[in-house]
Amino acid sequence: MILFQTQDLAFNNLIYYPDMEIPKKCVTFIAGESGSGKSTLLRLLNGTLTQSHGDIFYEGKNILDIHSIHLRREVLLIGQSVFLFDKTIRENFKMFYDYREEQVPDDEVQHHFLHLCRIAFDLDKSCTTMSGGERQRVYLAIYLSFQPPVILFDEPTAALDTENSHSVMRNIIEFSKEKGITLIVVSHDNSLAETFAEKTIFLKKGW
Amino acid sequence: MQQVVQLNLFNFSLIYLLLIIVLVVMKKSKIEQSKLLIVASFRMTVQLILAGLLLTYIFKNPHPAFTVAYIGIMILFSIRRVLSKNRGLNRKFKMAVSISLTVSGLFTLIFFVVVVIRMDIFNPQYMIPLGGMIIGNAMTGVTLGLKAFTENVESQKLKIDSLLNLGVSPKKILLPYANNALETALLPTINGMLGMGIVSLPGMMTGQILSGTLPTTAITYQISIMIAICTSVCLTVFCSLHFGYKTLYNKRNQIIL
Repeated sequence: MILFQTQDLAFNNLIYYPDMEIPKKCVTFIAGESGSGKSTLLRLLNGTLTQSHGDIFYEGKNILDIHSIHLRREVLLIGQSVFLFDKTIRENFKMFYDYREEQVPDDEVQHHFLHLCRIAFDLDKSCTTMSGGERQRVYLAIYLSFQPPVILFDEPTAALDTENSHSVMRNIIEFSKEKGITLIVVSHDNSLAETFAEKTIFLKKGW
Repeated sequence: MQQVVQLNLFNFSLIYLLLIIVLVVMKKSKIEQSKLLIVASFRMTVQLILAGLLLTYIFKNPHPAFTVAYIGIMILFSIRRVLSKNRGLNRKFKMAVSISLTVSGLFTLIFFVVVVIRMDIFNPQYMIPLGGMIIGNAMTGVTLGLKAFTENVESQKLKIDSLLNLGVSPKKILLPYANNALETALLPTINGMLGMGIVSLPGMMTGQILSGTLPTTAITYQISIMIAICTSVCLTVFCSLHFGYKTLYNKRNQIIL
């Protein structure tokens, strides 16, 4: 079943995309050289950018006809730069859920998502004293906990070593399969794509 | 009460000797702004002499057109100053700031002169000096507020991007920045009110007392002007930021910085 379909897509008349079909409930990797528009494509898919030409269909509906906030909550983009509040893990969960005006999950659920991202810290641990890799995993855990139907990952494990990145990715994919979540991943780590991709879309510069 | 002593030109010029102290201190502290101090003192002298001559003429020949023109120039100049200090704003944001400063400044000034003092709206003796204080302070407040707002938004792009990706509306993301900037802009005025009468006898009251007005009368004007200034700063900054931040995103809820 097709989740996303694009036709004659271009951004700012600088980046041109081939027509694409992204299947539902699958792990699709987006590969290509720097400047081929991989990160831009993710932002076009979740509506934080709008294409200058062409169409994107989400479940058969043109995304320009879907309310942008509703689209972003369904198609969640986890960006490559990590942002956490200078607070504890528990407070970070609360802050992000407050911004979404949703009930924060209880401690057990928070621990479950941290565990999924290979974080074993206490919820009262301050995020300010963590390493880059630990912060990235806490950030992933918080975003995953929203359990949207689609997750777009932009370099999700850039700050992690190979062992950690594979193990975190494996856990996320297992969880997504269990919940029927579609994953679309941009990564420079070819080994991740070779191991986990069910479909890979290659982008070229100046298509 | 004694009337104010008229300063003769020689005595008046002695006040400039104090600037030598400032220049010496700046030199000792390696502050390379001596030229700026001299230029600022010179400009202030020339501008105030011109203003004095012009106001003397207007007070002797009062006409609504003079009052309107003077207030209009004050507003235009203050808008230009605010916008020149915040060049990064988009066209609609600049428009919001200009309209807010004009409407809030005029509203407070007219309320003060017409409703409180019960004076004619075109009376230059009241409208011009009070307008200067009200609009001048609103200008400083909005400059401060805009600077705080833009600096915070610029420095927190990562947070803004992350929250947008999470499906948080730009309004919910940007509104706290506007509220914080309003607080930053209001605090100097409110702190000034706290110390008034104890730490300082403010300029307007001092001027009135020197010219022979009873201190009990002078305080009523001072209290009124402080409340008017606080209101105009609050209204100008609130309207500028609350209309302004909405120009930073489009209908698709995308931030345009």
